[in-house]
Amino acid sequence: MNEPIIMTKHLSVSYEEVEEPALNDINLSIEKGSTWLILGPSGAGKSTFIHCLNGLFPRELDGEMSGHVYVNGKDTRDYHPGEISRHIGIVFQDPDTQFCMLTVEDEIAFGLENLSTPLEKMEELITESLKLVGLEHYRKSDISTLSGGEKQKLALACVLAMKPDVLILDEPTSNLDPCTAEIFTQILHRLKAQLGITLIVIEHKIEEWTELVQHSAILNQNGELFYQGTLRDGVTEHASSLKKLGVWLPYATREALKTASPLSKLPMTIDELSFKPEIVHPSDGYRGQQLLQTDNLSWHASKQKILDSVHLDIFQNEFVAIVGPNGSGKTTLSLLLAGIHSPNRGSIHLKGRPLGEWREDNLRNVIGYVFQNPEHQFITDSVFEEVAYSLKLTNKEENEVREVVFQTLKEYNLEGLENRNPFQLSQGQKRRLSVAAMTVMDQELLILDEPTFGQDWNTTERLMDVLQDKNSKGKTIVMITHDMELVDRFATRVLVMEKGKVKIDKKPDKLWKQGDLSRYHLNLPPRIQAERMRLPYVSK
Amino acid sequence: MYLNDLNPSVKALTIAGLVFILAFLFDPITPFLYLIFVIGVTFLFGRFNKKHYLLYFSPFFIFAFGMLWTTLAFADAPSNPEQIIAVLWWEFPREDLFIAVSLSLRVLAFAVLSLLFIFTTDMVHFVLSLIQQLKLPPKLAYGVLAGYRFLPMLKTEFQQIRAAHRIRGVSQAKTIQGKVGQWKRLAIPLLAGAIRKAERTAVAMESKGFTGNRNRTYFHQFTVTKKDWLFPIFMFTALGLVILVSVKLGYFNIYDGEL
Amino acid sequence: MNSWKLKEIVVMSTLSVVFAVIYLAFLPIGKILVGFFGPIGYDLIFGIWFIVSIIAAYIIRKPGAAFLSETIAATVEVLLGNAVGPMLIVAGMIQGAGAESAFAITRYKKYTLATLMFAGVMAAVFSFAWGYFRSGYAALDSSYVIAMLVLRMVSGALISGVLGKYLSDALARTGVLSSFALGKEMRRRRAA
Repeated sequence: MNEPIIMTKHLSVSYEEVEEPALNDINLSIEKGSTWLILGPSGAGKSTFIHCLNGLFPRELDGEMSGHVYVNGKDTRDYHPGEISRHIGIVFQDPDTQFCMLTVEDEIAFGLENLSTPLEKMEELITESLKLVGLEHYRKSDISTLSGGEKQKLALACVLAMKPDVLILDEPTSNLDPCTAEIFTQILHRLKAQLGITLIVIEHKIEEWTELVQHSAILNQNGELFYQGTLRDGVTEHASSLKKLGVWLPYATREALKTASPLSKLPMTIDELSFKPEIVHPSDGYRGQQLLQTDNLSWHASKQKILDSVHLDIFQNEFVAIVGPNGSGKTTLSLLLAGIHSPNRGSIHLKGRPLGEWREDNLRNVIGYVFQNPEHQFITDSVFEEVAYSLKLTNKEENEVREVVFQTLKEYNLEGLENRNPFQLSQGQKRRLSVAAMTVMDQELLILDEPTFGQDWNTTERLMDVLQDKNSKGKTIVMITHDMELVDRFATRVLVMEKGKVKIDKKPDKLWKQGDLSRYHLNLPPRIQAERMRLPYVSK
Repeated sequence: MYLNDLNPSVKALTIAGLVFILAFLFDPITPFLYLIFVIGVTFLFGRFNKKHYLLYFSPFFIFAFGMLWTTLAFADAPSNPEQIIAVLWWEFPREDLFIAVSLSLRVLAFAVLSLLFIFTTDMVHFVLSLIQQLKLPPKLAYGVLAGYRFLPMLKTEFQQIRAAHRIRGVSQAKTIQGKVGQWKRLAIPLLAGAIRKAERTAVAMESKGFTGNRNRTYFHQFTVTKKDWLFPIFMFTALGLVILVSVKLGYFNIYDGEL
Repeated sequence: MNSWKLKEIVVMSTLSVVFAVIYLAFLPIGKILVGFFGPIGYDLIFGIWFIVSIIAAYIIRKPGAAFLSETIAATVEVLLGNAVGPMLIVAGMIQGAGAESAFAITRYKKYTLATLMFAGVMAAVFSFAWGYFRSGYAALDSSYVIAMLVLRMVSGALISGVLGKYLSDALARTGVLSSFALGKEMRRRRAA
């Protein structure tokens, strides 16, 4: 019993295009039936590590691998192609790029066909795996009709049908809203209890995994493993280095880190928090003149109502958060407010004038919009040009443009990257650049669609600092988000949407007192959760 | 129903063969009669959304009509210019008119044949049958299926990119150079995103044990039975009969290798 | 097919799907041009319909890339309802074979601008031969037919050859091709 099911010895990987190795001398041993969280900043070689475990390295992918990986005691190099998938199953991060067939059952069958499973057994395995993840009613469905959460469940079912010993999950919930993510982790809890499967979760967020996971391994930026052991010790002993790496620490640890002396034991979960966390809330008293006004706003796409008679006033200097379940019309509302789509019915007035009467270029100088996918907004070949683009449209002097661009790059922590191709930046850099390029015109109203989605801690903080700074200088911010902690910390007003309607419109602290938050797929921010715990422990 | 349950490879090969023969015929009667025959077969033995069929079919008429007038307008000098046929207010050499009508009817005959296939065949089943019957390498077949899945995604992606560029103040280009640049700016994010998605999908497929070799079982098994052979026999016999009718009526004309 | 990596196949077919849509988008443009100039209108922009074979071959650089990508693109076009029907698949295969022949002649070793333009010309020649046979160009005036051929060759060289290279190079600069032949070559050149 308890022999290691996965063991790496002096595992290093390097790619020819990069000088430094992606993984550097990794020695890790994972016991059968254990549950691990592998933590590291984005770009720390986490994906490379997965590809080593399932034998894609060195066979299918480019790059030099040295050292050894043993799965069930056998070197991955000695397995036949495809054989390792009997032992190791992987659920990847992006729900849209894990499938090659069109329907649910065909997709599960695909993996079984690869293992040459006889047809008679396939039926049974498909039924069983769909039941395990709760998708039994979707057997004949088209994959394209599934929601993101259902797709991730399907990815899980595909892997489970193949009966692996080890389940690897690569940021499995990072593309899901918090409620859906919670449902997904609950399934994992159940699976672990039912099947006793070995679980390895690769992440840069910790909070949602604290209950499920016992062990952790931490990778740093150089692809080195600097910790392996229990999750609790990893988090509490290395909290400040994790924070520096951009890993998303649990709320309680973060709060304690702000105040605690280096000697005190850090908490990991909210109920261990020994003090009442304070919040420095923005000046929510001041509200300027009316900026945007919508009347009876509706929008539908091919008979389906997406937005249903929305009445809304947005005032200068507000920080409005739009929240609600996926598909409730948040993005559509934001696109209408920004004048990107035109409403089917109803009207929008900006500063008292109908939006349709604004000239496009004037409108863009008043309203900025940041799309969810930063790459969509890139239109030039270099970071410098990207930021300079809008400035150049206004016939500014070249010197002035340069000055503003460098100032902006500095503000967004992008100095030194001005000659890089925007597409070659890291995820966080891309996000910051897309916001920088959009806000360089200093618009009065800035609308952002989930700007912190999938971002690490550092980028999120930097972004929120900039937004708060703009807000304090009188700019209006409208931000779609799923992160209640951000709503709690920054918003002066929150709109809760459901089925195309704005159901709740009030201040955040009033919202938290409402009883039916889960109906809207919302959870309480950790600060409020902590308050409600009524400080059970008092240490020191 | 019968057409939907046919082996997809047999169906495809039959249609390819029919199209090939039709391509050599230059008379108006054969494609016309066969056109009606194929529509009849499709509606009698196929199970599909009739409204969609008409929707798909209608643009072919426009195309066939375009074919008709361009062939007439840019026709080579006829060998028998004295034979003239008047249509409403226009007069055409008989030979030119016949060829033009034949070519445009042929477009329609090709169209109904392809619609017969498209409307009664599940594309995934077709690809799977290509692997099983026609020995298409699984690596290629599944790779293509994976790429095909991205089709609907590309549409939303494209719309988002366009909206995003509008916000950035990218205005309509006036010059050709500007238009090319504008195209490139739209195409690059779209292609870059698609390529990254494709790569990730390939990795996901491989991690599910896909190696591309033939050593696998099939959830959907396709075989060729006697029933499947009936289809080509039926279709080719019908074509033979139609050609016979055309010959009897004295219209029949085959491609004579004229250059 | 064994020398191909799965990701190369998936990427090739994804490119084909993207360009199938673009091909369809260019049909009405072709029709407008035909309205102005007669059948020769298509030849002005005919090169656009070879572009995926040149792009796929230039990026992946394996035997079969040009032929397969063009074939898949044509098939997808038919599935999307192109009004030419299944013959379009044959046309696609022939165009692809034309482009492929140019890469075969250069033994899949040279991927210079000249080769790519040559591939565009070959695709034009092959497709013209097929069109001549199938669409009955024989029925058209011969000087007109020659003008069509020349124009199509120029279009193949410029639109598919030059524009195809320009697009692929721009794509390579984004870094997404780093594990494909074109991306690797670009890196080697930068390192040198």
